[in-house]
Amino acid sequence: MELCLIGINHRTALVDVREKLWFSDEELRSVLSVLKAKYFSECFIISTCNRTELYGIGDNVPIEDVIRYLLEFKSVSNPETRGALYVLRNCRAASHLFKLASGTDSMIVGDIQILNQVKTHYNLALESQTTGTYAAKLVQTAFHVGKRTRFETSICEGAVSVSYAAVELSNKIFSNLAEKSALLIGAGETGEITAKNLVARGVGRLTIANRTRSKADELAGSIGGASINFEDLHAHLKDVDIVISSVNSPTYIITADQVRRTMRERSNAPLLIVDIGVPRNIDPEVNKLDNVFVHTMDSLSRIVDQNMNRRRTEIPAVNAIIFEELSSLVHWFESLQVNPTISDLREMFESVRADEVKKHINRFAKDDRELVEIVTKRIVNKLLHLPTTNLKNGTGSGDSIDERHSRIDAIRTLFGLHKPADNGADRSASEKTSHE
Amino acid sequence: MKTLIFAVNILLPLAYAGTVWAYAKAFFKNSILAKKIKTPLLAVTILVHAAYLLARTVLFDHPPITTIFEIMSVIAFSIAFSYRVIEYVTNTRNTGYFILILPFIFQLISSVFIQDLTDVRSVLRSHLLGAHVVSAILGYSAFAISAVYGFLYLMLYHHIKSNRFGVVYENLPNLEKLEGLAITAVFSGFVLLTIAIFVGLIWLPRAFENFSYFDPKLVGTVIVWALYGTGLISKRAIGWQGRKIMILSIVAFTVSVFSMTVINIFFSGFHRFY
Repeated sequence: MELCLIGINHRTALVDVREKLWFSDEELRSVLSVLKAKYFSECFIISTCNRTELYGIGDNVPIEDVIRYLLEFKSVSNPETRGALYVLRNCRAASHLFKLASGTDSMIVGDIQILNQVKTHYNLALESQTTGTYAAKLVQTAFHVGKRTRFETSICEGAVSVSYAAVELSNKIFSNLAEKSALLIGAGETGEITAKNLVARGVGRLTIANRTRSKADELAGSIGGASINFEDLHAHLKDVDIVISSVNSPTYIITADQVRRTMRERSNAPLLIVDIGVPRNIDPEVNKLDNVFVHTMDSLSRIVDQNMNRRRTEIPAVNAIIFEELSSLVHWFESLQVNPTISDLREMFESVRADEVKKHINRFAKDDRELVEIVTKRIVNKLLHLPTTNLKNGTGSGDSIDERHSRIDAIRTLFGLHKPADNGADRSASEKTSHE
Repeated sequence: MKTLIFAVNILLPLAYAGTVWAYAKAFFKNSILAKKIKTPLLAVTILVHAAYLLARTVLFDHPPITTIFEIMSVIAFSIAFSYRVIEYVTNTRNTGYFILILPFIFQLISSVFIQDLTDVRSVLRSHLLGAHVVSAILGYSAFAISAVYGFLYLMLYHHIKSNRFGVVYENLPNLEKLEGLAITAVFSGFVLLTIAIFVGLIWLPRAFENFSYFDPKLVGTVIVWALYGTGLISKRAIGWQGRKIMILSIVAFTVSVFSMTVINIFFSGFHRFY
């Protein structure tokens, strides 16, 4: 029994190659059924804009046949796509899924929106009845990794887009955005996204000023807010706490003198101005005024860069979590293998004991026969106590996974026990798991 | 009992050092372990400190306010305790390093120089004196906390203005919150200092024949009180806010430190007991 991963992602292929292996929900249902029938005992596929990954569990999986089937299903014949596919097995495959869940394999480090997609695609496989105990445990552990990553590290913290950086800045100046109001000047894309983010974070009031009033009206209608004439924006400055400016203008649209007057009118209450226009919309002298904070694309990009760097420094901590969870998964996998061996061993000893007692029981006086039963059972239990304990817990320090598998194998060989019947834990699989 | 007090006297600066270390690790290194242990460590330190002050009061039969070094220990305790209350009430957990460094320094000096006095001047056993000194100490502790928050405000203010988005930007609370904390501390300190001055004006003329309204320490205290009062009025009446009011809180605290140290040491008057 082994875990196989066949995948393609943003690191191995460009979008024009990746998109050819993207599966719709309908396609997934039909592919999963075939894969389960032909190659795997359990399988599920994660297919998003950045990756398509097949996780399958089975015995002696013919990887090349599976790949050929997938490429044929999607009618892909070019060798470039085959070259971009990667194959991982057992621990490496599980570890890859955990990296995905922790956000360290995402295009933007720390982006764990993929977790929702994993959940959706796993549920789809569940509905298609192509999953089982192993897939469930694997996905459950992946979610646990995602949860621990979020709570125990700061890999998901900090804005990683310019528009979010502007929102983060406003949160560093103001306590409660619900009590603040914002003014969006211009209807450029970045400005619009920033305004949307502010609204999503609960900014109290949004006003939009644009040279074309109808566009301001339209935007105000779509994201919620009021629109004003572009010429009136200076009169509104005193009523707002956050200004986002993104217009094309050869001259400054807000000057230091205008803001100085505004600050007097607003009792010097802090004012954040985000200038994302090129050329700059706000006179740089404005930043010299007390309690006025002017930030441009450059400073927002700096926030994004620093947050990205900080997220990267969290990767070792995330890897430690992944290692812990992987070890616990391997331990769980082993326990599935150990328990049947102990059970078989006990059954075998009990059968020998029962046979021998049956053969010779007539030699004992009637009154002693019950005692013979008790004594022989006790002997068997005592003989098996130590091997059973050692099998379950290992023999102590330096007890590697390989050693434990060798021990299980030796016991099965020495006592002539059959291999565990279809419980997904045969020796070859465990050997491979241990070597990955 | 005396041995125990001696041992705790040595232990306390170490406990504060450990607490400051944990808060520093949490702030600068984002250490998960430090984040977990810092608040319990502070709570234990405060409890040990409270027990220490109580034990001194019982063993030496007077409240620990008879020497400058006993008072330093009480100031250290009141700053640490006030910070813990702020942390609990406002859920502001990232400023501990900057505040708790003060109790650490105060307690370190106190632990090195403190003496075990059993015979003190009878005037120092008065209950009114107790109320006067305790309210003054709490008031000055609140001013110290407001000055630290004022300092943090200015630090974050300049970091945001000059596009420096490092550890300070990431870990400090926002400007509005820092300003709120500083103003609350100033208001609490102002109320407590008003009580201290009021009780002092009742008790001092009765306790000292040579009482004078022009005593340097009294004048210094009234100037500090007036400065903070002006700040609070400016905020309310003129609407001062942000950087200006934070600078005022730091200036007022500098004057109060000057009043407590230089005037106390160099200008002798009736209002000096040790």
